[in-house]
Amino acid sequence: MSLLTVSDVSKRFGGVNALAGVTFAVDQGDVLGIIGPNGAGKTTLLNCISGLYRPDAGDIRWETASIRGLAPYRIARLGIGRTFQIVRPFPSMTVRENTAMGALFGRPGARLQPGAALNEADTVLDVVGLGEKRDYPVLRLTVPDRKRLEVARALAMRPRLLLLDEVMAGLNQVEIEQALEMVRRVRDSGVTIVLIEHVMKVIVGVCKRALVLNFGRTLVEGPPAEVLKDRRVIEAYLGQRYARDQEGPLPDPPPQAGEGNAK
Amino acid sequence: MTAGGRRLPTSLRRSAFAIVALALAFVILAPLTSIDAAQQAGLPLLTDKLWFRIATTVLMFVVMASGWNIIGGLTGYASFGNVAFFGLGAYTAGVLVSNLNWPFALGLLLAPVVAAVFALIVGIPLLRLRGHYFAVATLGVGVAVGEVVNNVVPLGASTGLYLPIVRSDLIFFYLMLGAAVLAVLTTWVILRTRFGYGLLAIRENEEAAAVIGVNTTFYKVAAFCIAAALTGLAGGIFAQWNSFINQENVFAISDNVQMILMAVIGGAGTVLGPVAGAISLELVIQTLAGGGTSSVYSQIGLGVLLAVCVIFIPRGVIDFFGGRSRLSLRYFRQTLRETSA
Repeated sequence: MSLLTVSDVSKRFGGVNALAGVTFAVDQGDVLGIIGPNGAGKTTLLNCISGLYRPDAGDIRWETASIRGLAPYRIARLGIGRTFQIVRPFPSMTVRENTAMGALFGRPGARLQPGAALNEADTVLDVVGLGEKRDYPVLRLTVPDRKRLEVARALAMRPRLLLLDEVMAGLNQVEIEQALEMVRRVRDSGVTIVLIEHVMKVIVGVCKRALVLNFGRTLVEGPPAEVLKDRRVIEAYLGQRYARDQEGPLPDPPPQAGEGNAK
Repeated sequence: MTAGGRRLPTSLRRSAFAIVALALAFVILAPLTSIDAAQQAGLPLLTDKLWFRIATTVLMFVVMASGWNIIGGLTGYASFGNVAFFGLGAYTAGVLVSNLNWPFALGLLLAPVVAAVFALIVGIPLLRLRGHYFAVATLGVGVAVGEVVNNVVPLGASTGLYLPIVRSDLIFFYLMLGAAVLAVLTTWVILRTRFGYGLLAIRENEEAAAVIGVNTTFYKVAAFCIAAALTGLAGGIFAQWNSFINQENVFAISDNVQMILMAVIGGAGTVLGPVAGAISLELVIQTLAGGGTSSVYSQIGLGVLLAVCVIFIPRGVIDFFGGRSRLSLRYFRQTLRETSA
């Protein structure tokens, strides 16, 4: 039995089919990477899973029960945490307080009191490497740190599944290495991860499997190294002519992170 | 886990605390000099009719501003319809006492209940709206409820509703004081509980709050109902105090604007901000009115005051006096930068 099963999920916005029947499953301990050109429906997919959008068709199952159409807070308390591509901290609070909010509300079962939630936040902040800056107001954080804070707040919920929406976007090489290290630590602590990423180095570096979306449909799914060589994927990112000129698979090694950030 | 800035030096804080404590003691005890026994004992009369009228009005606005603060300041939903709760509370007490001959105490108990139930009914659909949409929709509700009441004959229609007169400045002063203390305590307690943090999270980023597990709909509606109950309580007391209520004096949109101004100028989202705002603004209004200036000038004055406050001390006078280096250009620049992001 898979932890999360997405079957044939569709979502329309007016005349746009943001998702047109996406199907995949995530097993306990998996790290699934979702890639695809801009507008492929990646974030819409995450929004459907976390309950911010209600899918028009299809089903989303958490273990055996359907979570389609559940309120976001219910889905959160089942053990599904997420981050936002454009970070959404609580601006008037400190780093520590922001993180504590995840522990305060996102835990399934037992309710923590504010004090206990703050202690919990300290533990999580050390994992993501924000321990030193716990008393900073959020507005003083740099972009990479704000991305870490997103992860910290989600981790404080003690999720079983973590949905990461482009936590590496906008980071430089060194910061990407650090963030990658953080994701590995999270994975090693037993959290299942689904991550959206444009930085191919990340997909290859931590993902067991990769799923390519294009125009709201699954284009290819498989081990990252193979997926990135797939002609259909290259076409989707770089156009048919480029793919034809390359005559088949891209030469090894796979593109470096900077170049792979195909926008 | 409360937002704390740097504080004033200890000596200054001590003297400030002493002054506030003295003022509070005076306000609470001075009215007792108007009791017959005190007069016979030869105590000086410290309070006259005007003193009672102003003090009770100030306290009434403390309740309304604190109530507004719970939905507007803590939750971030700027309601322009809270005056409807005041009016409903007033009319609940009014109808029960005047038409059904209930004792005032019972009528007063039901006033907050009716206001809260109404908040529950309108809150569930309205709190799906955000920002300006919510403000305009609540404004509509505020005006509409007043208009309906103004046209329902059992409620006195446009003639209004008369309650049996109770001549005791003392009773209404202490009732309003009790309501004000209740409102401040409610805010204080909320800010120290899980519920309060949920409200703050909604204010700061509602979608982020939802995905970390905050039941946003429930929290928002609950906050709205608590705000309504407090405001309705003030309305119920006002009905008996004034012994006459009609659309104009209990459903006045200007009252709604005033409670918002008070909360914002004082410091929205804080416990004591609305109190400071209500006291200072109401005293300014009373002074302007008492000084023979026409109400036009007082309106202009209030408008300018609001604009200046929102631009230069957007976090309210409580933050202005309570933290960092006060009265410095640096403070203004910093708050400008931090709040205009």
